[in-house]
Amino acid sequence: MVIDAHAHLAWRAPGSNWEERDRALIDAADRLGIDRLACSNLCPRRPSVPEDFRQANEWAGESMREYPDRILAYCYVNPGWIREAAEEVRRRIGEGFIGVKLYNEYPCSEPVVFPLVELCIELGVPILHHAGHSHYYVAAQPRMSGGTQIAELANRYPEATIICGHLGGGGDWEWQIKALRSAPTAYADTSGSVVDEGMIEMAVRVMGAERLLFACDMSMTAGVGKVRGAQITEEQRAMILGGNFEGILAQRRAQRGGSR
Amino acid sequence: MTIDMNAYLGHWPFRRLRHNDAEGLLALMDRAGIDRACVSSASAIFYKNSQAGNEELAEQIAGHEERLIPFAVINPAYVDWEHDLGVCADEFGARGLRLYPNYHNYALGDACCRELIAAATERGMIVSIPIRQIDQRQRHRLLEIPDVALSDLEALVERHPEARFVFVNGAGFTGSRLGRADGGLPANYALGISRMRATIGDEVGTLVENLGADRVVLGTGMPFKYPEVALLKVEVLDAPEETKQAILGGNAEGLMGRLT
Repeated sequence: MVIDAHAHLAWRAPGSNWEERDRALIDAADRLGIDRLACSNLCPRRPSVPEDFRQANEWAGESMREYPDRILAYCYVNPGWIREAAEEVRRRIGEGFIGVKLYNEYPCSEPVVFPLVELCIELGVPILHHAGHSHYYVAAQPRMSGGTQIAELANRYPEATIICGHLGGGGDWEWQIKALRSAPTAYADTSGSVVDEGMIEMAVRVMGAERLLFACDMSMTAGVGKVRGAQITEEQRAMILGGNFEGILAQRRAQRGGSR
Repeated sequence: MTIDMNAYLGHWPFRRLRHNDAEGLLALMDRAGIDRACVSSASAIFYKNSQAGNEELAEQIAGHEERLIPFAVINPAYVDWEHDLGVCADEFGARGLRLYPNYHNYALGDACCRELIAAATERGMIVSIPIRQIDQRQRHRLLEIPDVALSDLEALVERHPEARFVFVNGAGFTGSRLGRADGGLPANYALGISRMRATIGDEVGTLVENLGADRVVLGTGMPFKYPEVALLKVEVLDAPEETKQAILGGNAEGLMGRLT
């Protein structure tokens, strides 16, 4: 089973070609041998408000039901809306969503995020967190979380399943990997357009293959090609491509008593 | 015959490269199934006197000329480049140039660059220009080097209709005149695919359609990048096998053939 741990569905703006774009994602998965795609739908207006993230999740749920064998859905919320975000997460996980997607509204180590993390622990679902670290001020994302913040959160809540988004999403991937060394419960996904040779091998060496999740974040051949090219064992590759994510999904099933 | 028109030996000051000597690169090529590669010195990008990098490259390539095709990094704003060009072409067997206008602080339209391109063309050499060397988001804090503007390349190919250009590490050509056969530009350039999207937002397929299958070439960016990624883009291309073989090597052979 090959699972893309970080994908996105199209925001359904009036008159947009969102159906075509979502279909293109499925087609790409077909051509690249990806069995399932863990997707969120992000609203374009951010920081997001409850009306918008509810709408995004409504559409993600529709896609999940339209492609039940292909699409797994993350529930996207802005953690700053503490009560509304919690209600939305609880509702969507009840509908079969598999986790929570957080973007860059807050650095993940800020206390405003903690109630949501505690809820995800209660529900037994992972949090996929947008992340990156650059050595200059990223004006467009002043509240982006880096590997150090992800590690801080994971160590605060070692029972949580925190996934650091896109090692190859730009920025200093060596920093991200090294930052996550000290957070043994944190995962990282391998997605992003950056395909620097040696990235996957270093992540395996420093973090361990059991903490890495194959993903594309819509850079499909980059996502598949870097894992295909990595000089790791076939057992490690199988863990990264899907085995580890299947283990994360099993946490939720186990919490629900084995029914799904 | 699979030919990579975008490969490197040597060092990059901000990240340790692997497979960056001749033996290492040849092993990487064997792993990926690449027969020949157009190789330039990565070290030369930062050496003040880039000819020292070309000399290192020549030492590395010695004995491997059947598979490693030298391209010379020439800085036309640096003293005595005319002599260096002659040495690279006549003694080192360089079949092309790699130009770095934004690293070496000149413009493609400057008189010195015009003279260099004319001299190289007179010698039958290809002129290769990397649009970028690394993803901007991962740059060192001390260094901000902008991408080469596609509009500058449009002017360049018009200015030198007799020259043969290969632009690598670029993307977004489909939105420029460079990406269309009817863009009013001379057909004197080819485009490498290392940064182009395939499947979703299929730039490779769009260029094959709009510019021509004979204008797209394999360029992996190894050992900066995993070579398997660019090869995968050709593998999943929705095109006849004949087109794929042209991209993998036939087009490069055509360009090289013009040199002999």
